[in-house]
Amino acid sequence: MSEVSGKKVLVVEDDPDAAETLQIVLEDEGYSVSRAASAEEGLQKARAEKPDVVLLDIMMPSGTEGFHFVWELRKDADEECRNIPIIVLTAIHDKTWVRFYPQKDDPVYQPSEYLPVQGFLDKPASSEQIVSKVEEVLAEAGTASPEEKGSES
Amino acid sequence: MASAVHTNVDLDELRDRISWLARLRWLAILGVLVAIWVAPRMFGVELHRFPLYVVVAALVGYNLAFWAVGRWVPRATSGPSVSYFANLQIALDLVALTALLHFSGGIENPLVCYYVFHIVIASILLSRTAAYLQVTLAIGLLVAMALLEAGGVLPHYHLAGFLDEHVFRNPVYMFGTLFAIGTMLCFAAFMATTITSRLRRREAEIVRLSDALREHTEDLTQAYEALRQLEGARSDYLHRVAHHIRSPLATLERMLAVVSEGRTGRLPERAEEMLDRARVRVREVLDLARDLLILSRTREALPMVDRSTVDFASIARDVESDFRPQAGSASVSLAVSLPEGPVEIVGDEDALRELLENLVSNALKYTLAGGEVRVSVEARGDTLALCVSDTGIGIPTAEQDQIFEEFYRATNARESGKDGTGLGLSIVKAIAEIHGGEVSFESQEDTGTSFRVLLHRRGLRAPATP
Repeated sequence: MSEVSGKKVLVVEDDPDAAETLQIVLEDEGYSVSRAASAEEGLQKARAEKPDVVLLDIMMPSGTEGFHFVWELRKDADEECRNIPIIVLTAIHDKTWVRFYPQKDDPVYQPSEYLPVQGFLDKPASSEQIVSKVEEVLAEAGTASPEEKGSES
Repeated sequence: MASAVHTNVDLDELRDRISWLARLRWLAILGVLVAIWVAPRMFGVELHRFPLYVVVAALVGYNLAFWAVGRWVPRATSGPSVSYFANLQIALDLVALTALLHFSGGIENPLVCYYVFHIVIASILLSRTAAYLQVTLAIGLLVAMALLEAGGVLPHYHLAGFLDEHVFRNPVYMFGTLFAIGTMLCFAAFMATTITSRLRRREAEIVRLSDALREHTEDLTQAYEALRQLEGARSDYLHRVAHHIRSPLATLERMLAVVSEGRTGRLPERAEEMLDRARVRVREVLDLARDLLILSRTREALPMVDRSTVDFASIARDVESDFRPQAGSASVSLAVSLPEGPVEIVGDEDALRELLENLVSNALKYTLAGGEVRVSVEARGDTLALCVSDTGIGIPTAEQDQIFEEFYRATNARESGKDGTGLGLSIVKAIAEIHGGEVSFESQEDTGTSFRVLLHRRGLRAPATP
């Protein structure tokens, strides 16, 4: 538990029940969690708090606000913000055949057409799935840039 | 002259035929020149060539003139004047033929029967009335020439070398020839106009039918387009409804999970148990919404279906590793036999995975501990044969006809206490069908079930496009 203590997770989710559930699970695992109910609020908090990872809901009230969040964060002026890993939580991925991922042998594959995010989770994801996805993404981000501020605190 | 009302189609056709007539006239001019050259040289017939050349020159002149008019004066070749133009040309041709005959023996010339060509052409080109008027003109010109030559008003140019004696004044010969030619022209006009008018009626009928057909086609295209839009709207609606159902349910399930996992504090044992059961019920509805969405997408929204060449063997390996833990915890052995190398099929990767997952998941679900589930994939020419067999509870014989019905679950499946939406096999069937395939099975209660799916390796139905 100690190795994750102090790691900050930003949950961008408009549904307060879903957000609270995520907060309970992640805090139970030792993360410090802050919440945002819209893409705009999420961007503000991401810039202010520089979380280690963002859990993002794609379908927020104004359509696909989640996509907006991803693009805005990825072109942020601050490099640290641009590199914050994002895990997308959605009920419309995979099994409903709406694609965010390219097909492996897609002849018109354009990397730029797909979301620059580090992970997907289908709703409903179990507590274990959520925790292990967050760990996995953090571990990848850790190997990419070993000096993380989590180790300082 | 011609009082027949022409439609645009008739006018176009008449224009075509007039240019055909002009080409025929060049051929006739060539024929006359050849005859003028050949007759004296090969048969010793004496011809008065100069007047014949004059007539030929006139023919060349007016054929060129008609060509120029047709080309430079569009009014002459459009609208009602087209038929006057045609009438004029044929009348001039008759005069030219009469002149040629006059300068080459009059009615003693056997080519006097050539009037018949003009009459057949007139009958094809013109209205019935106009054709008979041309017959009258032809007979009139012929009779006038014969009488004027016989009466000495016009000179007679004898065809020396062809006929020895003069018969043009012999009344019996004259009458016989005129009668023969006259009746021939009348019959020719009658037969040709009859056949032509029949053809025209049929042509008009075809035009009418094709117009009607075009209208129907337009109606159908519109109806299809409307239907397609409706279908699109329906599919979109269903998609949004499914999302709106799944979203709160997913949150509900997560909230129940967090509580039952004890993350909000310890629960009384009974409360925990009730919560777990509540989660199971929520999952049922989530699965149902998911299955309905997949089923409807597969059946109706074909444009959503991806079309690429995929390796079914690699799908099977993925599915095998996904289900390996579940098989292990149920103590069921899972055996997958694949051919060496890839098994390529043109299809939708997600749909094919869904198909196999459904069959394997069913087989594992209804096979008791110690049993066995076997998956085999074979490629034979254009066919991909997939077989998923188990040693499970089987399907009661009496219910085997119904298992592909939506929401139907066999009695023993329901009694087994396992969850199921009753849509899995419907999805399997729908996915097999869009891949040009079919699903069959053999089953014996308490012994096992074997599902066989035959897919066409290039049979993926193309997306519906207008």
